[in-house]
Amino acid sequence: MTATGTKRVLTDLDVMVAGQGGDGSLTVANLLGILLGRRGFHLYVARDVASRIKGGHAAALMRGSLVPRGSLGDRIDLLVAFDAEAVEKGGPRLSDDGVVIFDASDGPAERTHLPAGARVFEIPFARMAVRDLRRDLFKNSLAFGVAARMLGVGDAEAEEVLARRFSHLRPEVAAANLEALREGFAYADSQGLGEGASPWRLDSAQADDRILISGNEALAFGFLVAGGRFYAGYPITPASEILSWLERQLPRFGGVALQAEDELAAINLAIGAALAGVRAMTATSGPGLALMQEGISQLGSAEIPVVVVDCQRSGPSTGMPTKPEQSDIGMVVHGGNGDFPRIVLAPGDPTDCFELAVEATNLAHLFQGPVFLLLDQAVSQDSVTVPPFDVDGVEIEGGKVVSAADLAAQGEYRRYAITDDGISPWAVPGTPGGMNLVTGNERNEWGQVSTEPANRVAMMDKRMRKLDTVRPRLPGGRRFGTDDAPVGILGIGMQLGVMTEAAELLAAAGVPVAGLQPRTLWPVLDETVGFVERRERVYVVEHNAEAQLTHLLASVGVPRDRLVPVLRYDGIPFRPGELAGRILEEEVGR
Amino acid sequence: MTVTYTPARPIWCAGCGHFGVQGAMAHAFAALDIPPHEIVVLAGIGCSGTVQNNLGTYGYHALHGRVLPTAAGVHLANPRLTVVAAGGDGDGYAIGMGHLVHAFRRDLPFVYVVMNNGVYGLTKGQDSPTRHGLSGIGGFDAIDLGLSIPASGFLARGFSRHPDQLRRLMTDAVRYAREGRGFAFVEVLSPCVTYNDTYASWEHLVEDVDTRQGYDPSDRAAAFAVTTGLAAEGRIATGQILLDADRLPREETVPAAVDVDPAANAAAYRDLLDRYRV
Repeated sequence: MTATGTKRVLTDLDVMVAGQGGDGSLTVANLLGILLGRRGFHLYVARDVASRIKGGHAAALMRGSLVPRGSLGDRIDLLVAFDAEAVEKGGPRLSDDGVVIFDASDGPAERTHLPAGARVFEIPFARMAVRDLRRDLFKNSLAFGVAARMLGVGDAEAEEVLARRFSHLRPEVAAANLEALREGFAYADSQGLGEGASPWRLDSAQADDRILISGNEALAFGFLVAGGRFYAGYPITPASEILSWLERQLPRFGGVALQAEDELAAINLAIGAALAGVRAMTATSGPGLALMQEGISQLGSAEIPVVVVDCQRSGPSTGMPTKPEQSDIGMVVHGGNGDFPRIVLAPGDPTDCFELAVEATNLAHLFQGPVFLLLDQAVSQDSVTVPPFDVDGVEIEGGKVVSAADLAAQGEYRRYAITDDGISPWAVPGTPGGMNLVTGNERNEWGQVSTEPANRVAMMDKRMRKLDTVRPRLPGGRRFGTDDAPVGILGIGMQLGVMTEAAELLAAAGVPVAGLQPRTLWPVLDETVGFVERRERVYVVEHNAEAQLTHLLASVGVPRDRLVPVLRYDGIPFRPGELAGRILEEEVGR
Repeated sequence: MTVTYTPARPIWCAGCGHFGVQGAMAHAFAALDIPPHEIVVLAGIGCSGTVQNNLGTYGYHALHGRVLPTAAGVHLANPRLTVVAAGGDGDGYAIGMGHLVHAFRRDLPFVYVVMNNGVYGLTKGQDSPTRHGLSGIGGFDAIDLGLSIPASGFLARGFSRHPDQLRRLMTDAVRYAREGRGFAFVEVLSPCVTYNDTYASWEHLVEDVDTRQGYDPSDRAAAFAVTTGLAAEGRIATGQILLDADRLPREETVPAAVDVDPAANAAAYRDLLDRYRV
């Protein structure tokens, strides 16, 4: 935020709307999101919910900024609190001149949680909504009216936003909400906050073409565009949106999505569909992935292309289902019995989710094996404004699928033929002349089970060669910060946005850092190793207690003594200022 | 003619019931004149889990207990294929039991053949869930389970020692599934001559319901009364126990035949993208 004259001009704003689940917190957040979007702000939207159907404390957290940001900010500027708990939770993070719009239906706000400079509007929203408008839900539009006045937005503009939000509702409902909004304006008037009287003024910029989408939706979309036509999954937080999105969309495109009876069935359903030549995917979170391990080993051994998505949440075991973590790195990279090649891609935002889902779907077919997409709860479920995806630029690569004509021409067909690139021609069932045996047992080129030692070695080597074949095309990482700095910062997934902004803050504080978000986690690319080798030390930012990413890098020859883990495992994402502060503290101490 | 793998010779002991099962499968494919490239035989883990190697069709060796979801995946991806899942009672009724209920419930048109011998042969003689159940004392009856699920439409039990009956049941099952009518379940009493040789004892316990006066396989309640009644006498019902002959084939999409070219779908993809524009 910058100040011009007497007004504070808002260019970067964090909002929290919180109350009991079912309060409609998201409605106010939606209205503010539409308002900010129209003003050309980029958005980052997160939810903080309890693991229950309804009720429990729920919050919508939103950041609007004229510069695109990949995370929430450190401080909250505007807190719309529908109950005392919202003040208790959001208050400590309120900026020094932050504003609280509090539903005082049950009494005044508890000030002990708030900074001294905070401005508090205590309005009995719920009582007013019920008394004057006869419906509790209208308190959202009422609160939005006060918030719009505080942001220095004209009443007409606020009314346009409301009209757009409720355009799909019955006219009388839209009219009642408009009445509620105006009641909010009237209340603001009574508090000396007339139109244009706010000390704040919301800035604006030219809004370019953007979409607002979550990582899970972007991932499912990418899979679809890459030709994915089969999905099986079992409901689990935070992966369930992938199932529901594909259940809605795949049938429209001739595909099939179904809810399996468990994760064992989910991965084996995907295996079956993949066997028949259809691009297949399953998605889950840590506990489900643990159940899928045998199937993943089967993909590696039997050479079956399936995309496996892990939307990580806090573990171990059932852990904290709605909270983010990055503690499945070991399981994803090393899980499953035996040795087999696999690829692990790690998207850091919705754009990555779309692009890497396309890449994973192609890669699975090209190398005939398991390709993981490793997300975390924040990447999966937070919604971010990003440039529209390039759906026209997607190319479908079929790999070594052979046709009946190919087979007739070659006269002989071996499913597991040993080839220089390790990849064997693949005849899918239904192809005349291509009958073959697929098995997870060690087998000879014909697919017949074999324990013959020389064959075993040749087959293992063939499978492992496939990784070398695809390695040159594996997605490189994203770089940010100061490229020639001797200090580095490295992390995957939800760390991308936080690290990028922290790097700016560190540079401003006199500690420039070079940043890398590896998008291919396994195999570890030379790019990643080189990034560390060229630096004196690299901060590895991760959400787990064991420094799993640090250990993974060290296991492939990255000098361990140059890696400095920066860990958090309390279920809350890093914030940019906080991360910069922790690194600064380390740097000053050296 | 492209040369592919040579069908293997069975690994089973001389006299194993599974020979009869394999023979019945081969008979059904020939009788219905299905080209081998249109058939996928999937088998689980165990002695029975090698039958897919012996038939010259497309074959898949499933994970232990997971043949049903895998077969369902193959079918859903390409309903034009004839899909036959096979396995033993350990594979199907122990580690894979959870999937059987859902296979009945989903009623997807493929065949599931369980070679039931009451024992784990490949791992050398451990008890299976049906070891003490086939004579009706305790244990578990998969046909009764199937009868209890309203979606089921084809339930049959054969005996390896009665090849004519088994061939008929297997052919009917493959035809039923191939016509898209639903899930066809065939349990075969298939004795293990090494660890649980029950040829002689079962011979005296089986009763072919198809030879019963007035037996109506479309009457689910009557079928249940007959199977449980026989079980109470320590006997085992065989034959076409349930058949919903009026069931019509269902229309299914064929993902394997869908045009996934991005250019062909570009307008629909762009429309989807528009929903996210702010």
